[in-house]
Amino acid sequence: MIADALTAERIGLTWLRAAVAPAGAFGRRHDDATPVYGPGDVARAHAEIADVVALAERLERDGVARLRAALRAVPEATPVVARARAGDALNDVDFYELGRLVDALAALAGAWDAAGGESHRRPPVLDALRAVLAPGRDGAGFYLADAFAPGLRAARAALADAEAAADVRREAIAVRVRDAIGIDPVGDEFVVLRDVYDGPLPEGVRVVRETPTYRTAAIGVLAPERDAALARVSEEEETARRALAERVARETDVVGAATRALGALDRMLARVAFTQRWGGCIPSLRGDRIAFCDATFAPLADVLAARGRRYTALSLDLRGVAVLTGPNMGGKSAALATTGFLCACAALGVPPPARTASLALLDAVIWIGGDGPEDRARLLSSYAAEVVRARDTLDAASPSVLVLVDEFARTTGPREGRALLVAFIEALRERSAFALVATHFDGVAESACAHHVRIAGVRDGALDALDAGDLETALDAINAAMDYRIVDARDGGATSDALALARLLGLDGRVVLRAQALHDGEK
Amino acid sequence: MTAAARSVVVVGTAKNAGKTTTFNALRAVAARRGVAIAVTSIGRDGEPADALDAEPKPRVRLAPGTIVALPAGLVPRSPALAILDAGGASALGTTVFARVVLPTTCEIAGPPTARAMRATIERLRGLSTGPVFVDGAIDRVAALAGGGDAVIVATGAASGATIARVAAVAADTVARLMLPGRDPQREHARVIVVAGALDARDAEELLADARDATVVVEDPTRIAIRGALFAKLRAAVDLRCERPLRVVACTTSPVGRETALSPRALVEAVARATGLPTFDVVADLAA
Repeated sequence: MIADALTAERIGLTWLRAAVAPAGAFGRRHDDATPVYGPGDVARAHAEIADVVALAERLERDGVARLRAALRAVPEATPVVARARAGDALNDVDFYELGRLVDALAALAGAWDAAGGESHRRPPVLDALRAVLAPGRDGAGFYLADAFAPGLRAARAALADAEAAADVRREAIAVRVRDAIGIDPVGDEFVVLRDVYDGPLPEGVRVVRETPTYRTAAIGVLAPERDAALARVSEEEETARRALAERVARETDVVGAATRALGALDRMLARVAFTQRWGGCIPSLRGDRIAFCDATFAPLADVLAARGRRYTALSLDLRGVAVLTGPNMGGKSAALATTGFLCACAALGVPPPARTASLALLDAVIWIGGDGPEDRARLLSSYAAEVVRARDTLDAASPSVLVLVDEFARTTGPREGRALLVAFIEALRERSAFALVATHFDGVAESACAHHVRIAGVRDGALDALDAGDLETALDAINAAMDYRIVDARDGGATSDALALARLLGLDGRVVLRAQALHDGEK
Repeated sequence: MTAAARSVVVVGTAKNAGKTTTFNALRAVAARRGVAIAVTSIGRDGEPADALDAEPKPRVRLAPGTIVALPAGLVPRSPALAILDAGGASALGTTVFARVVLPTTCEIAGPPTARAMRATIERLRGLSTGPVFVDGAIDRVAALAGGGDAVIVATGAASGATIARVAAVAADTVARLMLPGRDPQREHARVIVVAGALDARDAEELLADARDATVVVEDPTRIAIRGALFAKLRAAVDLRCERPLRVVACTTSPVGRETALSPRALVEAVARATGLPTFDVVADLAA
């Protein structure tokens, strides 16, 4: 489903993508590689949404949060696995990271069980890889343990003995230095001032640097046994790493499959968490209508909840083109956005937050109204931006395109604007596109022979008793007085309530009264 | 080295002032006493030769039991270290926390940012029962300001040709690093907060206009003035910082590239000038 930046922002698609973003890197990769559902993907989209709804009902909400935290903690082991598969040498940090992967998957599986997940869908665990790494694991860490190569223990014991012998020799030289020069060499290097001591240095001490006034000396322990032991340890450790890497390589297919499964699980759990937060239904995806009952435009509901304001769930049955009218601040734009948002949910395999829904998997959603960043970059005026969008929309319009029109041509002369809107709706109808057209122009639906719905609007007399206060108080009052439901326009005419709202929003009362008089005179 | 300062940072007044020698001496003393330690570095250390002047540098040899933080790219392949943890990034890869099993010699480098350095020290504290030693850098010690770490200043003939000069540089450095923290009870009514570095121009303005004020910088390393100007400013205003450092001692190195100073006279002069316990860890002197 294509949606440009303006549309994605207006219909909450950008918000939705963030809301269902996977927790971990595997999920993000999986998500990036999963195409958005289009008109030919009804069965797959339906199956995914049904799966999400079932899991949202089955899993505990806290458990899902814990599962997502566990997913977030799964380390990115893909580069190590790829190198192991290619036969590259691995190092101890690589083995440590694989150990972390094993632990993280075990923790994830535990979280799945605790959340009440079904056993046949349990996330994968890597027991074979755990067994491979086990000799080197003590808790969460990793050490290339003696058990990884038959000669390692003996080589290390020999090195420890050689180191101890070298230390004894070093200490003997240090004693000679103390006796001859009176200096206690704490480290291997020390300084001998010539005016303190300018004689021959004790055996085992070499000069690192010489100046007219001092010598820098170092205790040099010749320890060929230690060097040989070190070389042998190095050789044995590399042998152990090669053998271990080969065993890891044999597990890479299993690890790859596990990480892919993690990606799918992460995507699924992101949708489950969303559904548990916002509710969601399994929609019909027949594509012949866009209808929903008690739907929530989650991005707006989220903002309203944060401000303590109520959100009214919306219902609509859109078959082809409909014109939406209603008062200012009545939620016409929100109704448009809700329609696009629910279709976007279906396209992303997310249960639409509604009691019931019948939706279409679309090729594109197009928002016309106002100007977006691309329009501003092209230095288009608001009107020009809308017209250019309308032009492009007619090129793209089809039965699998949803056009959301928000007060098209409001910035031009009302008579010409209205005429242009009617003609545009007719053109959309000819192309059998879905369209919901919000406008304040009168009689558009009748002229374009389109279905007419309206926002129910301010409850009778609800604004009359209210006084203008500060803006927040006024907005709260309007929110309480407004009936945001979408109803059939045949059930009664709507007014814009523009003057009452202007008064409540604090416009000078004399101005409002004068406007009211002018309006009444025109009537 | 006290329980109250479980991390000790060594910084130098100049290159080759004996910083790494002091760092190694601390480690050697800990090893002699059987104290398990943790180590890391601000910046890269342990290379065979100094990156700028190709002078030989002391190698960092780590005893068994030592916990070390270093980038993944510098983890020695042999003898193997026990990898305990990994996290955070540096230019040389993920920071790895490891325990030395068999004696090893390696390069140590720390993370690139102040926050990551702080986190690295805290993680080392969590992994080690003993003190954390940090081979520091004076221009990056700001990372540690406000953290309660003990700072040791290494100074020596590399920073001056005479004992008087070395002592003066040490006193100047220590005075800056020991800038006191803010004290609301003792602040003047007028408080001037200097954002960023306090440079010579700022100092001139403050001397002209702020003699009755408390002047606050973020941390001691923001003081970009030296010598007489710094001393004059400090005498004239109540100069403080938000995040103080705790300098506990100095060490001296009597040898420079072409000069050698009297070790005992140098230790005594630096101790007098800074008012701090001062040690020559090579000549085993204290004042």
